[in-house]
Amino acid sequence: MWKKLLAITFLFYIFALLQNSFLTHFNLFGAIPNLVFILFFSLVFFDKKDNNYQVILYAVLAGIFLDVFSYTYLGPSIIILLIIGFLLKGIQMSLKSTEDKHPFVYFLPLFLIFLLAYNFLLGLYLYLLDPNKIILAFGITTIFLLIYNLFIASIFFYIHKKFNGKKI
Amino acid sequence: MAGLKNFSVNKKKGSLLKILIGGFIILFVLVILNFFVSPIKNFVYTLSLPVQKTFWTAGESSSSFLGSFFQAGSIKKENENLKTENENLLAQLAVLKSIEQGNQAQSEISVSCQNSGFKLLMAGVIGLDDQDILSINKGSADGILEGMPVINQQNVLFGKVFKVYKNFSKIMLISNKNSVVNVKIQQSQDCEDPEIDGVVKGKGGLNAYLDLVPIDKDINPQDVLVTSALDKSFPKDLLVAKITQKEKNDQKPFQQAQISLFSNVKSVDNLFVITNYKQAQ
Repeated sequence: MWKKLLAITFLFYIFALLQNSFLTHFNLFGAIPNLVFILFFSLVFFDKKDNNYQVILYAVLAGIFLDVFSYTYLGPSIIILLIIGFLLKGIQMSLKSTEDKHPFVYFLPLFLIFLLAYNFLLGLYLYLLDPNKIILAFGITTIFLLIYNLFIASIFFYIHKKFNGKKI
Repeated sequence: MAGLKNFSVNKKKGSLLKILIGGFIILFVLVILNFFVSPIKNFVYTLSLPVQKTFWTAGESSSSFLGSFFQAGSIKKENENLKTENENLLAQLAVLKSIEQGNQAQSEISVSCQNSGFKLLMAGVIGLDDQDILSINKGSADGILEGMPVINQQNVLFGKVFKVYKNFSKIMLISNKNSVVNVKIQQSQDCEDPEIDGVVKGKGGLNAYLDLVPIDKDINPQDVLVTSALDKSFPKDLLVAKITQKEKNDQKPFQQAQISLFSNVKSVDNLFVITNYKQAQ
C-alpha cells in the first residue's frame, strides 16, 4: 500500500513537472495536456467502486501538485477534484454493469465531461474568487485541449488495461 | 423491517456526517496551508529547479528537432517570404542611410539614455502553464517586484512580472487573456500617418490580436507594433509583434488585425527583467 502511494505521489510530481516544462514545447495551438488530471481520472475510474478514501487521497495529491505549480492559492484544484472524483464514482455506480467493468465507451465521454467541468470550475474560481480576476481563455484552444488530452488519456486507458487487466 | 429501515437511515446520516466532517477538516487544513503558500511554493520550486530546467531544455531541443521534420514542406515558402522581406529591408536601409548622418547624434543620445537608464536582471525560464503564465528562476531575493517589464536581448516584450516568490516569479505573457498593451504601429510602407495608436490584447494560447485602431487609419500586413509611450507599464519602443492580416469592418468604429508576436516562448532560455523602470520614470 505504502509503496503504491509513494509511486503515485512520485508520478503526480513528475507529471506536474513535465506538463509545466517539457510538454509546453509540444503545445497544440496553446493547449497543453494535463497529465496530472489524466492520471487522477484514470486512477479513480479504475478504482474499486466503494473506495471513497482512495478518491480523497488521489484528489488531495493531484490537487496539491496542480495548485503548487499554478499562480493561485492552494486548494481550488483539490476541491474541484474531490467533487469530480465523487461524481465520477456516483455515475459509475449508476451505469449499467457490463462484462467489461471499465469499458472505453464509458471512459471516453466521462473523461471529456469531467475535463471540461474541471476547466470550467477552475475558470469560475479564478474569475470570481482569485484576487487577480484572471479570465481563462475558452474558445478554439479549449477544443484542442480536449482533443489533446483525450488522445493521451486513451493511451493511459489502454496502458492501464494492459498492465492491470487481470486485476480489474 | 422497521429496524432495517432505521438502520439504513442511520447509515446514510452517518456517512453524510463523515463527509461533512471530512470536508470541514480538508477546508481547515487548506486555510492553514494558505498562510504559508509562498514558502511552500518557493520550497517546491527550489527542489524542482534542476529537474524542471532539464525538462525545459530537453523539450526545447526535441521540439525543434521534430519541428524541422514537420516544417520541411513550408521551408521553401518561408525562404521566398524571407527573400522578399530582405529586399524590402534593403530598400529601407538605403533610405535610412541617407538620413543616418543627420540623426546619428540624436539617436546615440536616446539609445544611451535608454540603455543606461534601465537595470536588467537576467533570469532563466523554467516553465509555462496553459494560461500563458511563465515561470522564471529569480524572485524577490533578487530584487524583482510585481509589475516589472520582461524582455529578451532583442528588446522584444514578453510581459510583466505577475507574482513574486522568494526565488521564483510568474510572468504574465502579453498573450494572456488579461493582458492589454498600448502600442504604436510603425508602418512598413510609406504612408501619411507615420505612427498609429492601437492596443494589443491577449487571447490565450500564446496568441494576441491588435484592436482599437481607428477605422480611418491605414494599416498593412508586415507593419511592426512597438510599445507606446501611453503605456505606463512598459518602456516605449519595445518590439511587440507584426501585423499578419487586417480585419476592417466599416460598420465598426475601430479595426482589428491578426498579429504574429515576436515573443517566441518555445525557443527562449533566458529573459531580462527591467528592475528599475518605475523608478527610472
